Amino acid sequence: MDRTLAKPNVITGRRNFLKGAAALGGSAAVLAAVNDGARAAGDPIPVGQAAPLTDFAAADGVEFRNGLTLACEEINALGGILGRPLEPHFEDTKQMGDATNVQAVQRLIDRHSVHAVINGYNIGSGAAIQDVIADSGIIYVHYDTTIGHNNLIKADPKRYYGSFQGDPAEVWYGEGLLKFLKDQEAAGSFKRENNKIAVILSAGVYATNIANAIKDTAADYGWEISLFETVNVPISEWGPTLAKIRQDPPAVIAVTHFLPADLAQFMVQFVTNPTQSLIYMQYGPSIPAFRDIGKEATNGVLYATVVGALQDEIGTAFETRYKDKYGANAGHNSGAQPYDGCYVWATAAALAGGSGEPGDDEQNRIVASRMRSLIWRGVTGTTRFIADENTAYSYPTQTRDSSLGMPHQFLQIQDHNKGGLLVAPEPYSTSSFMTPPWMKG
Amino acid sequence: MDVAVQIIASGLTLGAMYAVSTVGLALVYGALNMLNMSHGALLALGGYVCFYAMTTLGLPAVLGMALAMAVCAAAGALIYHLAARPMLRAGNFETRIFIATIGIAVVIENAILRLFGPQPVAQPLKLPGAAILDGVHVPYQNMFILAVAVVMMGGVAFLLNRTKTGRAIRATAQNRDAAQLMGIRVGRVYAQVLAISGALAAVAGILVSSLSGLLPNMGGDPMLKAFVICVVAGLGNVYGAVAAAVALGILESVIQYLLGVQYSFAILLLIVIAVLIWKPSGLFGKQQVVRL
Repeated sequence: MDRTLAKPNVITGRRNFLKGAAALGGSAAVLAAVNDGARAAGDPIPVGQAAPLTDFAAADGVEFRNGLTLACEEINALGGILGRPLEPHFEDTKQMGDATNVQAVQRLIDRHSVHAVINGYNIGSGAAIQDVIADSGIIYVHYDTTIGHNNLIKADPKRYYGSFQGDPAEVWYGEGLLKFLKDQEAAGSFKRENNKIAVILSAGVYATNIANAIKDTAADYGWEISLFETVNVPISEWGPTLAKIRQDPPAVIAVTHFLPADLAQFMVQFVTNPTQSLIYMQYGPSIPAFRDIGKEATNGVLYATVVGALQDEIGTAFETRYKDKYGANAGHNSGAQPYDGCYVWATAAALAGGSGEPGDDEQNRIVASRMRSLIWRGVTGTTRFIADENTAYSYPTQTRDSSLGMPHQFLQIQDHNKGGLLVAPEPYSTSSFMTPPWMKG
Repeated sequence: MDVAVQIIASGLTLGAMYAVSTVGLALVYGALNMLNMSHGALLALGGYVCFYAMTTLGLPAVLGMALAMAVCAAAGALIYHLAARPMLRAGNFETRIFIATIGIAVVIENAILRLFGPQPVAQPLKLPGAAILDGVHVPYQNMFILAVAVVMMGGVAFLLNRTKTGRAIRATAQNRDAAQLMGIRVGRVYAQVLAISGALAAVAGILVSSLSGLLPNMGGDPMLKAFVICVVAGLGNVYGAVAAAVALGILESVIQYLLGVQYSFAILLLIVIAVLIWKPSGLFGKQQVVRL
């Protein structure tokens, strides 16, 4: 490996160099400092991504590609990894079944000899990619948001040393929601009409695991599940489901299905004859199409994410850079995932003295060890991995220290002409929870 | 009572969406014995062209819809010239064109993805407001979709039964060789049917996307449902397809309320199997080659 260092050709002078790194926000200065003014002019380090660039999840897949591309460009401007620039390569996972996912990752390794695979999510991903990664001895960061990853790594941490989930598992959505409701009740901003929660989910591991997590934990917080309804995807006619809700109105409706157009239709049809229920949804409301389709009906909707760009100095600066590069409608929240993942890996690799190519287990075990010991402040908050699970901690449910866990963000649409406002958790919130317009104050 | 009204209103909405998606597919199969698997992609194309015409070109809704119909009609004619025509004289036309149109669908979807991007967007062509029936809000848009489905069916019936073009289509559907011997330009009939089907797909795509939003792959689900309905009605039977669409929509809505949403599609497929055992050619289909 060529580790010849030269003066930086992108950010001139050490003062400007570090100033530039600080402007990127987060812990980018750590990488800049480790690079010690190196210019990214050595042999490129190939880094791969297997993302759904076509088919139903292409909206996110394209943003994953954008996020990794932006991270590579910025990291290269900071000197790459000890003077070696990053060179991204992409493969399409289409409908994200594991057969396709594994082939895509294998191609990245075989054709491009990638040192790391930095993905967003692949919904259909189980444990297969982790096996390919383990066999090739490289590093893998993904945002599948699944408890399956934790269980896999826990079962054999030596084999799966190089696989990391950059965000918390989806099960934290369940208890996170219940804790949020408890906090709002304590603050007097929400009063439950009864103890009922209606849970509406779609078939699929992600939505089902979140729904089950709500169901399994509800009793601990004094709630009972009055409806547990699985819907087919896509769904635009909610009449029969709403008829059941209206017959037995719950205090909270939790929809874990996540397609924005479907959720917008739910709201359009709900507000014509609403029940006194707080509405919590998954992911979909973060996409502008949800507000475009639902318009006024979306005001008051609460939604959450365990990984998304924060609305703070670092997060908004990232949003500005991202949208300047990819357009005003670009989804920076999706791009933020591989963006942070790439920084975590690149910084750990720089601290480890370089990254390892496929087969270089020895070096990549050092890189993985550095990743596990990092506390990385990125655009999505803090990434700190649970030992032997290689998954990010969730704040505030899993850890009560905001500097040691990735914030489980609760956002609310208060004006459909604008994006959701971050109403929890502290200290990141930028607004207060508002009683939805269909509910009595 | 309001629950019953809600179920019927939902069922009619579902049925109407299925019906508008089905008419074009049934027409092509009835006339050409060709299962056009790119019909769903044409739906998406129509929806996006209307979106582009109204938002970027600033055209009014009527012109937006007209432009979408024209573009999809041209796409339908193009499918004939590029794919169907070269295969017409080859053996196993039905199988070959089935596979070819799957490929065409992929090309169209990816072209839309490239041109319009992957983010879902709202269809601007939509009727605002709703009627209140026994406490149940029924959006005018849903009624409009149902009305359009009936008009589309009537229009296709008029075309087939009362026009010279329709006679040529029916003759070709009954016996292609005999029709050709009678002086009918069979190739032109094929191109016309695919163009008409494309225009109908555009209308369906605009209406479906007014509820579901626009995505490059938005035609997949309506296409699947349309195919199921075509099979139940009898492949190629346009009138039967519309009747079956509305009936299945109401049935689906009842199942969703009584048993749960997750069982509705599975039960619909069980009904399809039962129908095919009972009447292999579908509820309204005929055993012989004559369709339409």
